[in-house]
Amino acid sequence: MLKKILIFLWSLALASSVWGAAAAGNGQGLDTNTASATTAATRVSNDAAERRLEGERRFHENCGRCHAAPHKFPPRMMATIVRHMRVRAMITDEDMHLILDYMTQ
Amino acid sequence: MNHCDPQTGRTFALFRLAAGRAIFLSFVLSGVLSAVLPASAQNSFSERPVPILTGNAGYFTNVEDGHTVLSPTVNPVLLVPMGDHWLIEGRGEFEGDFERPDGGGPFGGTVDKELNYLQADYIANPHLTVTVGRFLTPFGMYNERLYPIWIRSLPEEPLIFPIATGSSDGLMFRGGFSLNAKANLNYSTYFSAGTENRVLEADRLVGGRLGFFFPGPRIEVGTSWQKSLQEERANAFGFHFAWQPAAVPLNLRSEYARSNLGSGYWIAGAYRLSQLPFWQRAMRHTEVVLRAQQFFAGEDLNNEEAEEYELPDSNARQADFGLNYYLRDGMKVTSSFGRQFSPDEDANLWTVGIAYRFALPLGNLGAQ
Ligand code: HEC
Repeated sequence: MLKKILIFLWSLALASSVWGAAAAGNGQGLDTNTASATTAATRVSNDAAERRLEGERRFHENCGRCHAAPHKFPPRMMATIVRHMRVRAMITDEDMHLILDYMTQ
Repeated sequence: MNHCDPQTGRTFALFRLAAGRAIFLSFVLSGVLSAVLPASAQNSFSERPVPILTGNAGYFTNVEDGHTVLSPTVNPVLLVPMGDHWLIEGRGEFEGDFERPDGGGPFGGTVDKELNYLQADYIANPHLTVTVGRFLTPFGMYNERLYPIWIRSLPEEPLIFPIATGSSDGLMFRGGFSLNAKANLNYSTYFSAGTENRVLEADRLVGGRLGFFFPGPRIEVGTSWQKSLQEERANAFGFHFAWQPAAVPLNLRSEYARSNLGSGYWIAGAYRLSQLPFWQRAMRHTEVVLRAQQFFAGEDLNNEEAEEYELPDSNARQADFGLNYYLRDGMKVTSSFGRQFSPDEDANLWTVGIAYRFALPLGNLGAQ
């Protein structure tokens, strides 16, 4: 019984990781295409907007995993909270910066 | 709490006093700390972090086979950031357990006080944080991530929760990095010195955990290992899995753990009813939860140990159903029904309660 459950869990995880990697790969491809389509003139203003969008995306990806995604706090509190969550949740450095930018605008 | 009798009133007053003292102490401590610390150098962000008093408070009524237990809980969390690289964090736990004596009479009981963690984190570089002090043992995911009452989707902890978790006193290295755009890796490894001290109680052990998070499909898989350096020098092993499909408001989680005390697993699905086509305003805030779990008592597990670790003393299966209503960010009303099947006797457990997360700045927030 136990063995069966273990095997089931492991294969579920394995299958989902393979599928996950494939799904993430597709998303990535789309991003680069749109980015290369933008002209140099619009890129500067788009950069800030893109960064915000990216921040929002990473916020939803990361901050609703363990608990319901929280509302925004004042910037100085947000800075502490994100540091706490970074240690706790092992959020990567890049994610943290993007999320903090997004959460403190 | 309208129908309290005087005895309950007194016990609650004591409880409030204890919790109040803890909160007061946190204020004092953070005041002292922020006064003695040098103003931090220009932060890499435009905003300097401010100390925060956060945590949660809750009140639960549990009915197990007709027997009622009232349990108010407060967990204050203190966060003191220092400079660009440091965070001091601590969490206390105050949990009341009030019931009527067998012969009837007023509710009475005890307040359990614990120091869950009190640690200094040094963020050495983007991929490594060094922690010293008392910290939550990083084994599996429930202890570190799902334990707080405002986070857990069912009021009762899983049966296997006591296996290889709790708190450790020592040193921990942890961190994470992205392997590529599709996958992040996270790791943690630690050593704990054993102590019998009541507040700092911990086992002597070493262990580690390795996890992979795939942001696209929002899947995390991980595995944990721990070796006890005392008594039987037993090994513990665990596996965890979490999935939040983007298309459905579902949280699917599962853990498996095994040690000399026993082994078991739980698997839980929590589903927000936001996709239902009717009563959307209410449904968006409602979550239904189902959990199935099983525990297999280990050969080494005797009754005394079972009691000490709060594990079932024999094989057990349990099914839980929960209903949560999110009133607002960080605040929910929660209810659950669980049935435990064990060779000794089956048992029903009903719970209703409310849980709330608070966060207060302990300093000037500056211009906003
Ligand atoms: C790996 C799980 C996990 C992830 C991912 C996570 N949190 Fe948390 N969060 C927690 C836990 C656990 C606590 C409670 C800490 C405690 O009580 O010890 C918490 C607490 C909080 C709190 C209360 C204040 C505090 O710092 O304790 C806020 C606000 C918060 N999280 C916001 C966030 C944000 C924003 C993100 C995304 C960057 C995030 N969380 C990602 C697990 C997580």
